[in-house]
Amino acid sequence: MTGYVVRRVLWGALLLILVSALTFVLFRILPTADPARLRAGHNTSPKVIAEIRAGLGLNKPLLTQFWLYMKGLFLHGDLGYSYYSGASVKSLIFDRLPATLSLTVGSAVIWMAIGLPIGIVSALRRRSRTDRTAMGAALLFISAPEYWLGLIVLYLFAADIGQIKVFPGAGSYAGMTADPQKWVTSLILPWLVLAAGFAAVYARLMRGSLIETMGADYIRTARAKGLPERQVVLRHGVRAAITPILTIFALDVGVLLGGAVLIETVFDIPGIGRLNYDAITHADFPIIQGTVLLAALFIIVANIAVDIAYAYLDPRVRYS
Amino acid sequence: MLKSIHRSASLALVGGALLLCVSLALGLSACGSSSGAAPGSSGIKAPPGVQTPVAESQTGGVRGGTLTVLNHQDFEHLDPGQAYSSVDYEAMYATQRPLYSYKPNTFATPTPDLASGPPEISSDRKTVTVHIRSGVRFSPPVNREVTSADVAYAIERGANESVANPYFASYFGSLEGASKATGGAIPGIATPDSHTIVFHLVEPKAQILASALVLPLSAPVPAEYARKYDAHKPTEYGNYLVATGPYMFKSNGAGRVLGIGYEPGKSATLVRNPSWSAATDYRPAYLNQIDIQIGGDPNVIGRQVLEGSHTVQNDTPAQAIVQLAYEQHRSQLEISPGAGTNYIAVNNHRGPFANVNVRRAFWAALDRVAMNKARGGELVTNVMTHFIYPEIPGFEQAGGLKGPQVDYNAYPSGNAQIAAKYMRLAGYSGGRYTGGATLQVVGATGSPEAEDAEIVNQTLRNLGFKTKFSLVDKSVMYSKFCGTPAEEIDVCPNVGWAADFGDPQGVLDVTFNGKHIEPTGNNNWGQVNDPTINRKMEAAEPLVGTQARAAAWAAIDRELVTQAAAIPFAFDKEPNIEAHDVAGVGDVWNIGSWDYGFTSLK
Amino acid sequence: MSPFDGADTPEATASPPPSAASPGAMRSASPDSGPAEESLLRVEDLRVTYATEDGTVQAVDGISYELGRGRTLGIVGESGSGKTVAALSVLGLTRAEGATVSGRVSFEGRDLLALEESELRAIRGDEIAMVFQDPLSSLHPMYRVGAQIVEAIRAHRDIAKAPARARAIELLELVGIPEPSVRVDSYPHELSGGQRQRAMIAMALSGDPKLLIADEPTTALDVTVQAQILALLSRLQRERGMALVLVTHDLGVVAEMADEIAVMYAGRIVEHAPAERLFAVPEHPYTWGLLRSIPTLDGPREELLTPIPGSPPSPLAPPSGCRFHPRCPYSEPEHARTDPALEPVPGRPDHEIACLLSSPTRRRLWKELA
Repeated sequence: MTGYVVRRVLWGALLLILVSALTFVLFRILPTADPARLRAGHNTSPKVIAEIRAGLGLNKPLLTQFWLYMKGLFLHGDLGYSYYSGASVKSLIFDRLPATLSLTVGSAVIWMAIGLPIGIVSALRRRSRTDRTAMGAALLFISAPEYWLGLIVLYLFAADIGQIKVFPGAGSYAGMTADPQKWVTSLILPWLVLAAGFAAVYARLMRGSLIETMGADYIRTARAKGLPERQVVLRHGVRAAITPILTIFALDVGVLLGGAVLIETVFDIPGIGRLNYDAITHADFPIIQGTVLLAALFIIVANIAVDIAYAYLDPRVRYS
Repeated sequence: MLKSIHRSASLALVGGALLLCVSLALGLSACGSSSGAAPGSSGIKAPPGVQTPVAESQTGGVRGGTLTVLNHQDFEHLDPGQAYSSVDYEAMYATQRPLYSYKPNTFATPTPDLASGPPEISSDRKTVTVHIRSGVRFSPPVNREVTSADVAYAIERGANESVANPYFASYFGSLEGASKATGGAIPGIATPDSHTIVFHLVEPKAQILASALVLPLSAPVPAEYARKYDAHKPTEYGNYLVATGPYMFKSNGAGRVLGIGYEPGKSATLVRNPSWSAATDYRPAYLNQIDIQIGGDPNVIGRQVLEGSHTVQNDTPAQAIVQLAYEQHRSQLEISPGAGTNYIAVNNHRGPFANVNVRRAFWAALDRVAMNKARGGELVTNVMTHFIYPEIPGFEQAGGLKGPQVDYNAYPSGNAQIAAKYMRLAGYSGGRYTGGATLQVVGATGSPEAEDAEIVNQTLRNLGFKTKFSLVDKSVMYSKFCGTPAEEIDVCPNVGWAADFGDPQGVLDVTFNGKHIEPTGNNNWGQVNDPTINRKMEAAEPLVGTQARAAAWAAIDRELVTQAAAIPFAFDKEPNIEAHDVAGVGDVWNIGSWDYGFTSLK
Repeated sequence: MSPFDGADTPEATASPPPSAASPGAMRSASPDSGPAEESLLRVEDLRVTYATEDGTVQAVDGISYELGRGRTLGIVGESGSGKTVAALSVLGLTRAEGATVSGRVSFEGRDLLALEESELRAIRGDEIAMVFQDPLSSLHPMYRVGAQIVEAIRAHRDIAKAPARARAIELLELVGIPEPSVRVDSYPHELSGGQRQRAMIAMALSGDPKLLIADEPTTALDVTVQAQILALLSRLQRERGMALVLVTHDLGVVAEMADEIAVMYAGRIVEHAPAERLFAVPEHPYTWGLLRSIPTLDGPREELLTPIPGSPPSPLAPPSGCRFHPRCPYSEPEHARTDPALEPVPGRPDHEIACLLSSPTRRRLWKELA
């Protein structure tokens, strides 16, 4: 098992390097705005633009630029410097990370707490009215665009612009350590909106997985043992049904940790998603490299974590 | 200045002098005729109930309180040596004091700010002398009084490549030694004493240089403090800047602003500058603090302002919000005239549009009303009929709102027969293009640029042209396509301009003078290079005095119309929104932003 | 009306007259006993239907049998004959799948079909236990074998984990699993096929049941292991006096173990006889087919196996009349019109048969075949 983990981690590192290289190349080849020109802004003098390019290191061959970047990353943990924002990429990312973490973890808890029970009930009462209503509602929430839902929710419940003034409005995010109460209340609406779509997906996933599991022979055995139905469903049915769902869960969380741009924009939460988006608008390569790398890192870690967890969850799985 | 890359709004002219005259008809000071009183004021009426910066009161506000500002866009540069977008300027003029500034209600007449009086221009127009006020001090941690050497350093650092001021070459390039300047002392800038600064030019362009002293570049920068930051490539001064205005970016004891008074992409905080003395400034500075929040969805922000308290938005509101404000919160809406123009650049150098009659035909064919409808209609635009825009001196002389009455200009909704007439004059007997060329049309993505570009594309097709039509990100459009003459793009439907200061040269020179065609970052997008026009511009440049300049440049404007050098469509008006309990005072000149030095809370 | 009528009183059964026509007439366990023993399990006219998208499926179409304490009944049939459903229905395990069950299943006098789920649960795993065909899929893959047995124990008794675990180890030893204290922590996939089935049997025995229903317990195992498991079942049954219902498609399996055998076809019992009689003088053509399709050790190697022609009928659309008639080599045209009832063979009340041919004809045909 240890050998397996070590191998996966090494592969992960290699993958990160590849992702880095790809981002590097893509942003320098595709017809985006030249960061030197954007930095120069209005100044038209080619001499100045050339100076800025040299300052940003854009004149060196691509490979050299990449090598320098990798060296800085692996040896010093240095993600580069954003000239546009006047701060190191690492500081910017760490500054924004708590908000994204808060958003992701909170909504993950909520969507699992809502989605899984609904899925279980739906699976057990297949084709009943409860099931049809639940799955219909799930389809609605899956289809509803996040951004639109966010706006609707603000127009209904925000303390500043809503009809029923319950929760703080957009832009009221405060850090957890700075103002814990505000941190929670400002995140409730974003959590709910982000969780809505996922809860719907997970309800459907759970329903499907549980229906399949409940048709298995060991469920029949469990009943034949005289176990209470609740125990049959939860300890035998759900226990087996949950493993594929956890795989997907880890991936979803990994992706979200890379930033939920839409939610962060609507609710004006200063997270990684918005940092990335702003950086793309300004062709701020160092930040883009950093955020892409971070997103890739989260996904890779999530993948490895899931594989390890699977070995514990399903004893039939064994890694040599 | 280039209209900020992010801007998409249009501006509305509000009835300036006329409204003022009406409201003062109860026997207060005489206004005079509308065309003579305020040079450049346009006489356009505001919709009733809507505010206008020209009419807002600059006195009598309540002292104190914190204003919340919601901005969808982030600042680009806080360093006065680098700032050029309207979002930057809103903070700039609250914290920095250039030699001259504009009061909120004018773009034509500068007021001495750091200077103690108007600039003295020598008769040979090669020297400009400015006297500086005493008693103006830098904010902590510098604290000392401002001297002329600080102004000299501020301008000199513009040539330093780590600062790279966008205007240095255009407006200060005629200083003695400017062409060789790299950030060190410039021989042409002299400081005979601590409160006098003298500019020596090699050409008679004193008027332009004097006008350019309203730019943030002339705001003083303490050399002994800033030099170490300017040594970085690019400069770090913006993260540590000090202020001379009534407000400053919050900083720590060492002067660090980044992370304290400015968190990129998140927020900024302006607090009172303890070194500022009200006696030295014409600004009342009512507010105690300004909290700026950056980011969010424009629709949400707009509603938060309209339904909130002590809040304004300082960048352009979404079109839907402007509509909402007009319908339900009219007194919280301000429309500011003179926010620049939007027009279509056509290639005068090569291709079908090198022929003047083809250009006139296109002008006649274009439905300018439809183009403006996509931008928000009459609330935020007026049909553009020539190139000097409202509030700039020379606007009336060049034809005012109606513009020169040539037949291709007389029909804002377009006229197919006149278009056909000019096509025939160009040699296409059928009234439509029959040549083989395919036009390269490059527009910008986003709304309303894409809609306007579509209308242009369709108009060209109706004239018989085949087009290769593409939409790209606006910054790419400027930097890679339309701003690079070598690409020979035929039609750029989404270009626009706003002047750096209230002088007609700022509107017409860089954009239509043949000598300003640059290989990259070109702003003369149509590659206009008419020898007659070039000569006239050469002659008009050194003129001194608002009236003389207005007359000369208005004549050039008329000539540009005659040559159909570009195809105009929108005189922009800028909408601004405030909460019900904010007594906002907007600036006519900074594309209509709220002015923190004059705004107060109710 | 007999003074003994009443749901809870054991009924004395007399042999019904030979002409009793209704299918589902009751039988006693053994013709040679005096007053009939109390039967442990009495199934009367059990019918199980499923409503599917394609129509109503009559999986079990009226079967009846009786089983005494300590006795073994073998239920034999092809796939689709309804034998598994019949077995599951005893414990009410088909309810979860939305089946409609009618009839009567008396266990020690109580009608199991009339019980509430909670009452039925008390009986399942305790007084009646079940062992299934594929132990790999029938045991939960994610729990250790010991834990699953402990679960079964603690479902019916208030015991702490530690003593329950000790009991589980005992049970594993009882069913012949080597190193039971180690194996108790194994996962099902870590055991061999035979060991898994033993574990499942151990689990079934944990409640000391009076009746064990085994649905194809050896089908998924190797032949040698099959014999071991059957031997195990046999031993356990004797030691504990447990009744056993052994459901299988393989006559060879029931040959050794069953006291009586019921042959099912298309949801019905077509022949029901004591085991020796069934092998000696089977009377139903289907049974003949089954017997003749068993390969024998002493037959010639080149002899082809004789399968029963055709395939089992679809439960959605059973054939008219005698359900076996399309495959029966001896059917007459009128067999398609009349549905035979399960009746005793003349003179042998313990041997029932559902066939339209006359008994003498059948005996003659069997003589010719054998």
